[in-house]
Amino acid sequence: MTPSHFAFTSAFMLGLTGLALHRYHLLSALLCLEGMMLSLFIALSLWTLQLDSTCFSASPMLLLAFSACEASAGLALLVATARTHGTDHLQSLNLLQC
Amino acid sequence: MCFIMYLIFILFCLKDWVAVASNPSPYFAAFGWLVSCCSMGWWGFWLGHGGPFLSLVLFLIYLGGMLVVFAYSAALAAEPYPEAWGSWPVVVHMVVYMVGVVLAFVVFGGVWYESSWVSVDELGEFSVFRGDAGGVALMYSSGGWMLIISGWVLLLTLFVVLELTRGLSRGALRAV
Repeated sequence: MTPSHFAFTSAFMLGLTGLALHRYHLLSALLCLEGMMLSLFIALSLWTLQLDSTCFSASPMLLLAFSACEASAGLALLVATARTHGTDHLQSLNLLQC
Repeated sequence: MCFIMYLIFILFCLKDWVAVASNPSPYFAAFGWLVSCCSMGWWGFWLGHGGPFLSLVLFLIYLGGMLVVFAYSAALAAEPYPEAWGSWPVVVHMVVYMVGVVLAFVVFGGVWYESSWVSVDELGEFSVFRGDAGGVALMYSSGGWMLIISGWVLLLTLFVVLELTRGLSRGALRAV
């Protein structure tokens, strides 16, 4: 495992553990998800740059487009949660009745 | 150059992910994510690997779009006593994550030597046209179908967002 691979792998694992453990807010969970997508972007661009396969360098762009879709859907869910529950605490999402 | 890359990589790359993952208040988490997007660490990382166009796209397009949206949404997650990286639970989480990264570094970093950075340019000359800019331009010629598909997905996401947040008698949000 070279240092570059260690960098994006540990960034991905940091985002994953931050997403999985001890979140208070939905927004910070979405930010961890964005960090994971960012590390995947780094991984794909490193694939391009290290193997000198420049034909592949369109794929990080497409990954960014799809992660923009993911972020916008997540933020729309955040807005919907703020409208129904009045807050975005993940604790209050367990409630069966608002 | 290898020493500079090590320094950049250790100091700048991973602290921002730790800052996001250590559960501060969403204002500060959004700020940490902003710093992790545009941090000098990854810029040096990409420039050292010879891909300036990808980091430019990340900075201008992605950060410019997402920063507005996340900063706007931080108003929905406001709390009366926000916790920055100085308060105790966040400090504990940061220390735990830092220790985890350092342990993984000790495990995997023992076999590194100078040629681990084999793809790093020495930046002997500055050139505007690098290979990644040419590769991204392929998206407009032979990758055109994928461009159309991703544009279609973005348009579809617009309607998904409109349906999720509309909130009258139809759609996903019927309680309001």
